[in-house]
Amino acid sequence: MSCSEDDLKDFMFGELDEAARGRVEAHVRSCRHCQEELDRLRLTGAALNALREEEMPRRIAFVSDPVFEPRWWQRLWQSGPKLGFASAAMLSLALVFSAVYRPAPQPVPAAVDPAAIEQRVNAEVAKRIGPAIEAAVAASEARQAKKTAEMVAAAQKEAAFERQADRARIEEAFDYIRKKLGTFYMASANLGSRQ
Amino acid sequence: MIFREAEDRDLIRKARRGAVEAYNLLISRWEKRVFNYLLRLVRDREDALDLTQDVFLKAFQNLGKLADDSRFGPWLFRIAHNEAFSLLRRRKPEDGAGAEPSGGEQSFRMFPVELSLAVERALDRLSAEQREAVVLKIYQGFKFDEMAEALDCPVSTVKSRLYTALDLLKETLAPIQTRGFQ
Repeated sequence: MSCSEDDLKDFMFGELDEAARGRVEAHVRSCRHCQEELDRLRLTGAALNALREEEMPRRIAFVSDPVFEPRWWQRLWQSGPKLGFASAAMLSLALVFSAVYRPAPQPVPAAVDPAAIEQRVNAEVAKRIGPAIEAAVAASEARQAKKTAEMVAAAQKEAAFERQADRARIEEAFDYIRKKLGTFYMASANLGSRQ
Repeated sequence: MIFREAEDRDLIRKARRGAVEAYNLLISRWEKRVFNYLLRLVRDREDALDLTQDVFLKAFQNLGKLADDSRFGPWLFRIAHNEAFSLLRRRKPEDGAGAEPSGGEQSFRMFPVELSLAVERALDRLSAEQREAVVLKIYQGFKFDEMAEALDCPVSTVKSRLYTALDLLKETLAPIQTRGFQ
């Protein structure tokens, strides 16, 4: 191994692997120049280490401030277990929602037979049409009877009114005749007395 | 370390769900490292503290973007790196890389020991990128791949910056070392 100041510095700082460290140690034992150089480096290092580390003039500490605290979703996002729990909860919610709101399965329609349907329709029509006609006729007859009764009642009322009017006219005529007869009787009586 | 990562992952998970107390606990585990990293880069205690607060606020707001919770450290230092270099870019007209720090006197009063003072000065002579590489490697104990992830650059670039910085530090600190360790 040849002399290398960089190797000596790496050696002093403990930055060499074991094999390289062994080679440098062997070289330093046999090389007076490198031995003196290593001594100078160690003395320099010792001198530098004589400088004490200073104490802090005052300690640093932060107070809890909501401005610096992460939002709830940041905390959730940064928390693996919580995020996993949230994912599982969302999945469960989706399953429940799907089970509740999924439409019920529709029954599959049977094969359609037009002839059978026509036969059933005809039978149903035949079954319902007779009573329907009877009911319609009865309703019509009832309406007609009611109308006739109303007309009869109106005619009777009108006839009664006419009779009453006729009676009044007759009474009026009788009164007139009676008055005329009275006048005539008085005139006859006056005429007889004068003769 | 494995236990620490496992606990960090648990705290990150809780913080991501808005648990501020869990995040405060996470802060307590990292704030000193982040503060010291920023302090070595920006070389001002108040700036470093302000940036540390900004780093943890941005980290909290962007926790959702952290793809691998086990890479929280490099990810956090990536945010810290961006914050620090954003400040350094704003400062650049007044304070170029490698210049003497304007607040250096204050820093030196904190470290009266001669060696610490010399190390501070030596680190200040490095560029921001070189200093950052030294801080992440020497003081934060990052591996090269973690540094590359935090700085968003290839491992070769990280090693180049670190080793160049180490050579400069070695030269700068040689007289001090000789006296200090005699």
